[in-house]
Amino acid sequence: GELYCSLPNPRNVRFESVNMKNVLRWSAPEGTGDGVLYKVKYSVYGVGKWIRKLECRNINRTWCDLSSETSDYEEQYYASVKAFLNGRCSDWIETARFNPLTDTKIDPPVVSVSSTEKSISIILTAPEKWKRSPEGESVSLLQVYPGLQYNVSVLNKKTKKRWLFSISNNTLLVPWLEPGTAYCVSAQIHVTTPLLHSGFSKEYCISTLKDKVA
Amino acid sequence: GPCRVSMSMAEIRSGFNAIKANIQARDPIRNLSILSYPHSLHKVKSSERCCITHQLFTFYVDKVFKHCRTEDSYINRKISSIANSFLSVRRNLELCHEQNKCVCGQESLGKLKQILVNYEGLNVTSAAMKSLGELDILLDWVEKES
Amino acid sequence: EDVLLPAPQNISILSTNMKHFLTWSPVIVQGETVRYSVEFQGEYEREYANESWIPICECSLIAATECNITEDISATVAYNLRVRANAGARRSDWGTLKGFFNRITTSLTPPLMKVIADGYHLLVELEDMGPAFQFCVLYWKKGQESRVQQKVVKEVNSVVHLDTMEAGLDYCVKAQAKVEAINRSSSFSETQCVRAQGGTPVWL
Repeated sequence: GELYCSLPNPRNVRFESVNMKNVLRWSAPEGTGDGVLYKVKYSVYGVGKWIRKLECRNINRTWCDLSSETSDYEEQYYASVKAFLNGRCSDWIETARFNPLTDTKIDPPVVSVSSTEKSISIILTAPEKWKRSPEGESVSLLQVYPGLQYNVSVLNKKTKKRWLFSISNNTLLVPWLEPGTAYCVSAQIHVTTPLLHSGFSKEYCISTLKDKVA
Repeated sequence: GPCRVSMSMAEIRSGFNAIKANIQARDPIRNLSILSYPHSLHKVKSSERCCITHQLFTFYVDKVFKHCRTEDSYINRKISSIANSFLSVRRNLELCHEQNKCVCGQESLGKLKQILVNYEGLNVTSAAMKSLGELDILLDWVEKES
Repeated sequence: EDVLLPAPQNISILSTNMKHFLTWSPVIVQGETVRYSVEFQGEYEREYANESWIPICECSLIAATECNITEDISATVAYNLRVRANAGARRSDWGTLKGFFNRITTSLTPPLMKVIADGYHLLVELEDMGPAFQFCVLYWKKGQESRVQQKVVKEVNSVVHLDTMEAGLDYCVKAQAKVEAINRSSSFSETQCVRAQGGTPVWL
């Protein structure tokens, strides 16, 4: 770049996406310390026109939420960052091409468990796709990824034996269990096309009720 | 539709994921998409999906892969793997085509013509590399519809 | 370029459970270490890329007489394979596999399987045979062979829940490995039977 743009470039400019909340992140230019400001722009692949993100103009933080601008997951995107300090600036540094459908990470499902004397009942809720506002329409990731399935792990705390269930719908009843026994449940989302999976959720433990007869 | 074709998309997808960043980085042209310009594949009527899938696999086999050779042997091996998988899938689609289960209507012919215009609007190596970089656009569409 | 070195002989493929190996007999040259290089050519290369060959860099100038070609044989088409010997500056002609290799011919073995009865629950654990595999598991109440139930299992190295069992009854299970990419399955494993915990519960 010309002398004016002789500031070192922002580093590691990339999209970080969870449940299609798509945030542009970067690291400050090497050796610049405080006071650096940034500008952000983005473009839709195939259209190519760069659009300035006004809410991320002259910001000193190193991230910018572009979820709204990249919410159509049938499109692909680029974003770019430029740094400014004491009248000097860096080059525009671009991300790799971002595909929200395949490049997002998926949170584990929410797990709710209830029990009777001899069974536990598990209800799983897939995370929602990011939405503009809490009042906005909720879209479950199930709608985005129709092939979404759940792997459910059930651990018998007494015997330390772990069973794995693979289910397509979001409810699971495990009957014929031992009364008065603690079971811990965790679940994972698994998508086959495209291949994506969440981590396992934390464990939700519950005890079957004590045997009334005993 | 009536054409049931087993496509091991997972292998093609994993082969492409291994080279996606490298291939897309070789394509500096942001304001043109071979497959999505001016309209996305997602706008195609599902009744014509089989024809477009067959024609697009033929497009990649006949026109694209041969111009994608790179200086990197690992990339070339992955491209070979994708190309041979496309050949295998195209053969299965051909059977459907011959059994008249993969009929091409006006819309698909128009879409394919536009793709060829987009392709021929660039020099052949840029066009081929851009098309290869857009494989996930094709795979996303094929997988969504299947 | 002088070509005194004999080309490798007895070139063959060992392919089991979608793992493919090219093997050949060693070329013996007194007092010299002979190394080998392997290349492949898919149907695409033959028909659309001027019959070009692609080197496998993991098997370039190797001393072994075997090369794992699994990573490159990743489409269900006919492949050509060839290997050449190198000793110092000298090279042999290419030795080419007789006939094509298509992974559809891989031999598939039944999966190792462990069947577990845990109380009233029927469970199975299957070996990891690789990413290309899933398993068709059949299970039935002993004596009711005509009422077989089926489950497709993709999880490996985990105790997978099949079903709940009626108290005190024997249940039998067998499984076969299936590879969607080549649309083939192995033969079934040996049948294993287990007994559900005895006891009073009666199905409501």
